[in-house]
This record gives sequence, structure tokens and C-alpha cells, in this order.
Amino acid sequence: MDLRLPSIPLRQTVELVSIDLPADQAEPLLERGVLPGCRICPVRSSPSGHAIVSVDGSLLALRRETAACLCVRLLTSLQEVG
Amino acid sequence: MASLALDSCGSCAEHRTKSLVRLGLSPDRWDYLIALAGNPNTGKSTVFNALTGLRQHTGNWPGKTVVRAEGAFEHDGKRVKIVDLPGTYSLQAGSVDEEVARDFVLFGRPDVTVVVVDATRLERNLNLVLQILEITDRVVVFLNLMDEARRHGVAVDPVRLEKELGVPVIPGVARQDSGIDELISAALDVAAGTRTTSPFRAGRYAPDVERAVVGLAPVVESVYPEVPNSRWVALRLLNADEAVQEAVRSGELGQLASGSQEAVHAPPPEADRQRLLDAATRWRWDLPTDFHDVVTQHSYDAAEEVAGRAQMTGLKRAGFAFDRKLDKALTSRVFGFPLMLLILAIVFWITIEGANVPSGMLATLLIGTVHPWLNGVAAAASVPWWLSGFVLDGVYLATAWVIAVMLPPMAIFFPVFTLLEDFGYLPRVAFNLDALFKKAGAHGKQALTMCMGFGCNAAGVVATRVIDSPRERLIAIITNNFSLCNGRWPTQILIATIFIGALAPASLGGLVSAAAVVGIALLGITMMFLSSWLLSRTVLRGEATSFSLELPPYRPPRILQTLYTSIIDRTLIVLWRAVVFAAPAGAVIWLIANISFGGESLAQHLVGWLNPVGLLLGLNGVILLAYVVAIPANEIVIPTVLMLTVLTGGLAGGSGAGVMFEADSVGATSELLRAGGWTLLTGVNLMLFSLLHNPCSTTIYTIFQETRSAKWTTLATALPLAMGFTVCFLVAQVWRLVAA
Repeated sequence: MDLRLPSIPLRQTVELVSIDLPADQAEPLLERGVLPGCRICPVRSSPSGHAIVSVDGSLLALRRETAACLCVRLLTSLQEVG
Repeated sequence: MASLALDSCGSCAEHRTKSLVRLGLSPDRWDYLIALAGNPNTGKSTVFNALTGLRQHTGNWPGKTVVRAEGAFEHDGKRVKIVDLPGTYSLQAGSVDEEVARDFVLFGRPDVTVVVVDATRLERNLNLVLQILEITDRVVVFLNLMDEARRHGVAVDPVRLEKELGVPVIPGVARQDSGIDELISAALDVAAGTRTTSPFRAGRYAPDVERAVVGLAPVVESVYPEVPNSRWVALRLLNADEAVQEAVRSGELGQLASGSQEAVHAPPPEADRQRLLDAATRWRWDLPTDFHDVVTQHSYDAAEEVAGRAQMTGLKRAGFAFDRKLDKALTSRVFGFPLMLLILAIVFWITIEGANVPSGMLATLLIGTVHPWLNGVAAAASVPWWLSGFVLDGVYLATAWVIAVMLPPMAIFFPVFTLLEDFGYLPRVAFNLDALFKKAGAHGKQALTMCMGFGCNAAGVVATRVIDSPRERLIAIITNNFSLCNGRWPTQILIATIFIGALAPASLGGLVSAAAVVGIALLGITMMFLSSWLLSRTVLRGEATSFSLELPPYRPPRILQTLYTSIIDRTLIVLWRAVVFAAPAGAVIWLIANISFGGESLAQHLVGWLNPVGLLLGLNGVILLAYVVAIPANEIVIPTVLMLTVLTGGLAGGSGAGVMFEADSVGATSELLRAGGWTLLTGVNLMLFSLLHNPCSTTIYTIFQETRSAKWTTLATALPLAMGFTVCFLVAQVWRLVAA
């Protein structure tokens, strides 16, 4: 099933599977550490519903549309959840 | 894992003073050239300041440095020039500021490139380090923010990282000056060639990409035998990197590769250069469609691999309860906006309340005491009236007034604003406002450039370089003037105090005035959104691009350094600019007041001609003439208004025609303006017109420099002016209708 970041409840860490954006728009995300395989956790949403996510120890603000292009998967085992 | 403790002796400032001589600004000649590169917000400017003794403005937000800053120091008799480059995540150059950094690393021929790395985000930072290592062997890594890494539960082993990367790795905390001495030694050793490096180079690519690279690299070597890493050049040519293609075409690649300033190689024959470009085009046809993704992934995999070996994550973290709670409030759906307004109001309230007394004291001293004394000296020395009038009543009084009116509010506003910036609040403002920017078809980072505009619009226009998309950057440039700049704050504060604060009981006057100024600032933000929206639906049509912004951790502001930096670098420089413009403007005012024809002075004629239009706008001829005189600098509007009011109203107060009026208190100014026929409407409309009119000449020139377009510069100049006329006209008509 195609799971996108906006459907993940706050403070639940998931793994990024892929970025569904053209290369030029995905590049800034990759450069900021949003890489397939990384752990990503929505921590807050803005007054207008945009997301603040925690990636690689830093906080990143994403527009809702950008967050909707991040395909993720739930962490299943306890070990994965860490 | 090596100990994270730093050598306290070697890193102390005293130790360095023995061998280090800071030379401040860029020298004419140097022995070594150091480039300072790194991801945004990793502390490059802090390292730069520690090395040069300069006080380049630092701020806790990504994209603060958009142009390269240059400085120098001398160490053991060697003069070293150092260039602080804008932060960049990669060498692929998406925005103008990133291009500045990339081009310097590629073509600036530094003797050594110091890459400042954020130890808390090693993997991401290593991506840039590895890209730079692909280009040059002469690299030193400064592992900054080691203290924050510890708080984040990350332990980095600098010794292991050095082995992995094959270049010196120096751990430190630039804010505390630690690690700077070791950095200097390592950088100079590498620059001098006394310390050799063997940089890490990522391995082979996927077979089809590897085939193209292996095919093209020998062609690169045959045309440019001095190139140290032909694989990297081949890869960039396969990627159709315009800067590298141009370097091949012009022959500059050979200069770059020689790595030394002295050795100047003749470029290869043009036919050979073209042969290389043609070969790249041929090989490009054979590349897989996902070539770009393959190469990008390869680079990130390498960074992950190196980081994994040199760091240990998931250690016990320090409590981040304070950061979390603060962020929860400052970016909250409910409290985010109200808190932003409250913080803005507090900044203005502190500025207004705090500036009143020193402003009065300065006016008493410079205008009430020194001016009569100078006049007395001139009279005693039998200086001709026209000379003393021109110099003392024109030039001196204009300058004195600008200092008295501008210095106190700026000396309060800039440090307070800089403390907020240093703390890390600005990106939160950008985040809160992003939805509105998106609706207006603009870029979220425009919030940052808007905030810079509150200090100076010209600086705000230059700051738009952080925006990648040219369309959104143009919108940010054209609308920056709606941020009230420091030249306009004094007008707002004075008029609000006289006409609006006076409506409230004395004890609440300051608060009401601050609220009025905040109201005007918010109206400016509204106008900025409105005009951005209009532009993005007419002449600058297009969709808003995706936006992601890093929210840096809160860092305790360095109060003393902030005070020093903001007073020296911002307040005094801006004040100096104002004085430079005010002095000739004072002379012009004195002249137009003293050159008469038909029984009236030139100023009286001009005011008379402009009066009908002024009154239609709820203003008057004096205000419009003052705005014409004040095109060079907004700061001189109020002194000009006061002088012209005295002159044309035939009021007592000045000491002669063309004398900048000596109102040494808010009360005296108020009485004078009211006597000149000013009403509450005039005050309100002046506040509106001060917000909505053409940018000052410096900003107009900067807009032209940044856009290289007369069309966009004209639009940026005319748009706010047209809005100002319209808004003032409508307010005046409605006001008069209601009053009638």
C-alpha cells in the first residue's frame, strides 16, 4: 500500500521509502538529509497545516504538498523502532 | 572512539595572540588563499570572524551569507587571505548564492579549502565534503559544533574521520574559539604542501554510467593533462554542467587544475577543447535515463558509509525540553501568530520608549547647544551670512537632526532584532507565514528576505539570492519595499507619537503609538502579500515551487558580541549612509529656501504647486516636496518636512529661511505641525505614504544590480508609489465623507 507522510500521526517515526518528485525538486530534500532509508518523524504541524519533521536530528519544515510526495513505510519490529 | 575533549591550551585565545595577527579586511597581496565552504548554518562566518578579527554579521538561519566575504590574517609571517563563501549543500548550484560558492571552489584557485562541517549532522555534511574532495586534494575539514553533537547524543571520532577522508580533520567549537589554532596550522600546512593528503574518492558507479565515465576520462586527460581528477570532470560533463562546460570551452579548466596562482598554463588548442565537448555529448546519448539519480545516490551512499564508520549515534541525549516547549509555542497553530505579533510589538515598544529620552538629549546637545555656539563663532569670525547659513543652517543642522532622530532607535532596534536572529527565531517566522506566501504564489523563504528588509531594503533585495526560482526571486525583490526599513521607522514613530499616541491618556501613549506602528508594519506585510499575489497571477505567472526549510536549534544569543556587531556593523554604517545623504540634502534645502524669484523662494513656489495634489491625497505640498528631496534617503523626510513647514507657514521657530527647524522635543514638533495646518488625517496619511512610496535610490540601484533589468526596476519603483497614491487618496476621501 502506498503510504504517504501526511497520513502518519504526529511523533510516529517511519522509514522513507522514496520521494515522488522530479529530480530537481527532490534534490533539495536529499541535500537536507531526506534520503530513502532514513527515519523521519512528523513532530508538529504549522498554523496552516504544513509539517515540521525530524530527520537525522534536525527539524525541517515541509509544505503539505511536499510531504505528500514522501512515500514511507511503518517500522514493524521493536528493533526497528529502536 | 576517541575522546571528544578538546585541548584547552592550544585552543585558547591567548595562545593564538602570540602568532596570529588579524589583518581585518581583504589585503592586496597574500601568500595563501583559503576558501571557507560548508553547508548553510554550520558556523562558517563564526570561523571567519575568529580568524580575521572581523565582525561579519552572523545569524542563526540558513542562507544568511549570500555574497562572499573576504578578510585576512597573518600567521608566522605569512599573509593569508580568507574568503567566506555562502553555505551550499552541494556543488550542483541551485540558487545564485550556491553558484557563488561553487564557482569559487572550482575556479577561485584557493590554496586550501576549509570545509566547515556540522558534527551533529555528519552524514549530510559529508556529501559536500566528498564532492569537494572530488575536485581538489587541498582540503581541511573543521568539525564544528562538537558541543551540540554531544547534546544530540552523537559522538564523532575525528581521528577515524581523518583516516576515512584522507585529509586533516580538526574538531572544535567556533563560537567558543576552540580548535581555531589547530585549524590555522593544518590549513597552512596543507596550503604550503608540507602536509600531504590522500583524499577519499568514491568508487565505481553502476556499469552503464561507469562505461561512459571510463570512456570520457581519457579524453579529458589528453586535452587537460594537468587535471588531477579526470573522472570528476568527465562526470560533470556527462551531467551537462554548464559551468564546467564553459571552463572547458574557455580553457580555464587548466588554470583551475594547476592549483597555483603562479603557474599559468596556455589553454589547449580550441579544436581539442571542442573534441572533448563533442565526446561528452556522444557519451551522454548512451547514459541511462535515471543517470542523475544514480550519481546522486552514489554520492549519498558514500557519505553514509564514511559517516557510519566515524560516528556513534543514539547515545544518551541531553534534555531538549526547553527547545521542544518553545517550538511548541512559537510554531503552534493557535499561538504562533499571536506570539509573533506580540514579539514584534515588544521590539517596537522597547524601541519607542527607549529612544525618546536619548533622542531629546541628542537634539538638545547638537541642535540646542552646539548649533547656536557654532553660529556665535561664525558671527565672531565675520563669516558671510550665506556661507554660515549654507554650512551651519543647511548642512550641519540636517546632519545633526538625522543623528538625533535616527541613532537612538537604531541603536536599540538593531541589537534587539539581531538577538532574535541569533537565537533562531527568524526561520520560525518563515515557517508560520509560509502558507500565506504559498497562497500568494511566492516562496516561503521570502519571509526571511522580508525580515531583512525591516533593517534595510537594499540588504533585503540582496538576501533574495537564497531563493532558487527566478520567478519567485523577482517577486521577493519587487515587494521588499513593503517592509518598513530603518530609514522609515523614525518617521513612523514620531508621527505615531504626535498624532495617535496623543489621543490616548499619557500613561498609555507609548503603548498606543507602538500599536499604531505595528499596525503600519502589518499593513506593509499585507500589501506585500497582495502585490505578490497580483504579480504571480499577471506578469510573473507560475506555480509556487516546493519548499523545505531547516529550523536550526535554538542557540543562546551572544549578547556582548551581538551588541558590538549590530551597533558597529549595522547602526553606525546605516547612520553614516544617512549622514552622507543628509548633508547635501540640507544644502539643497537651504538653497531652494534662499533662492527667490517673484518675491517668493523656490521652495515656496514648489510647495504651492504641489499643494493641490497633496491636499487631494490627505497630505500637503510640504510632504510631497520633502519626499522628492528625500529620494536619496528616507531618513531626511522629517527634518525636511519641519523646515518647509516653518518656511511656508511663516511660523516662528527656525532661525531663518532654509534652516532645518530646531524642534528639540516631540512637544515642540507637535505644536509646529499643528500650527502648519496638520490634522490627524495628515498624520495618518503620512504614515501610510511613508510605507507606500518608491524605494530609496540605494535600493533602486540594488534592484537594478540584482535583476539587470530596467523593466523590473521600474516596476519595483512605480508599484509602491502607485499604491501609496491610491491608498492615501481613498483614505482622504472616506475620512472627509465621514467627517462631513
